[in-house]
Amino acid sequence: MEESMINLALVGLGEIMVAVGVISDLIAALGMLRFPNFFVRLHAATVGTIWGAFLPLVGASLIAAGSEFLGQYRWFMSGGAIVTAILILILAPAGSHALARAAYRSKSAEVRPKSVDHLREFLKKEGGEESA
Amino acid sequence: MKGWKHVIAITSLVVSTSVLALATAIGGLGYILPTPGVRDLAYWYLVTVLSPSNKLFTAMSPEAVTSIVWDYRGLDTLFETSVFFLAIIGSIALMRGIKIVPERLRNYSSGMSPIVKTVTRITAGMIIAVAASIALHGHLTPGGGFQGGATAAVAPLLLMVVFSIYFIIKSGITEERMLALRTAGLVGIVFTAFSACIIAASLGTQAYVFQNQPKSTAAVGLPASIMGSLTSGTLIFFNLFEFFAVAAGFTIVFLLLSIPENIVKQALRGVESEH
Repeated sequence: MEESMINLALVGLGEIMVAVGVISDLIAALGMLRFPNFFVRLHAATVGTIWGAFLPLVGASLIAAGSEFLGQYRWFMSGGAIVTAILILILAPAGSHALARAAYRSKSAEVRPKSVDHLREFLKKEGGEESA
Repeated sequence: MKGWKHVIAITSLVVSTSVLALATAIGGLGYILPTPGVRDLAYWYLVTVLSPSNKLFTAMSPEAVTSIVWDYRGLDTLFETSVFFLAIIGSIALMRGIKIVPERLRNYSSGMSPIVKTVTRITAGMIIAVAASIALHGHLTPGGGFQGGATAAVAPLLLMVVFSIYFIIKSGITEERMLALRTAGLVGIVFTAFSACIIAASLGTQAYVFQNQPKSTAAVGLPASIMGSLTSGTLIFFNLFEFFAVAAGFTIVFLLLSIPENIVKQALRGVESEH
């Protein structure tokens, strides 16, 4: 009885996470289409990777862990989903960081809605050769 | 005007896909499914691949593809590996005498930002681990030596892009060492192919080249399991050596491709002016 309650809670939590992921993916797609320039679109893309890919994968692993009818294999599915989620959590920020850095340094994208640019000030202080 | 081009392109794509789908669905391209007689062949392989009672045909491995590649048609795969080896040798011969300038080796501190470098350090290790598991489980699950080696070669490529080619050279992944590893892998594959013969010769009997399990006509072979875990005789050794050979081969090609063009041109011009 208690075990089935835990399973139900796991599946319910996982389904909520997948639902949040679906909504986040929709928002991210809208942002990619409607946002004006590179850096703001990158923000929308990272919403899609963390809230729209990492969170649903954790949810999928919870659903698999709570689905007893899958037998022993549910732990393989659950573990695979968790490992993939952690990989995305490590790799996606590094990728978007590299993209943003390259776009900023090569001056190929304008930093448009900005109030302050600490990086520009830092690079000026470091010396001209770094920002060239 | 630009909008019309988009509309025409999208409409023609949708129409051509629908027409092709409809033609395939109503059998316009003839009977695409193979005749049922072909299915017996697949059935035969799936049934014989792991059947200890069928001593004549079994490869003692649950993975049919690896068994076919390294046991049923092992000689074919040996020559495929040799062709790949010769292709690597050809690319080395093409770029002979062209070295990455050693005086620039000190100046390898370039590359991407510390964030990307740290993440790459973590993921490069993970890539090698996944590649090793693909190769060493090649006789149990889908995968194998070539697939594992190709996956492992991504790690040096990633380091090359994120750190720099000079970092790779300085950390010891040089062309010569990779070629040595590649040659050792191929020698290992040939040695594994003759292993049953060597065992038979030491016992005073005879065996086939590329023999995996003991047959009724040649009663020696490699053990199907070592200490209780299934190793499928020669298959795990073939996968292991192929893993090293393919990983080193791809790394050589990546190293050669990363040599800057001005260095290549300089080397060619140097040869001309000597004469």
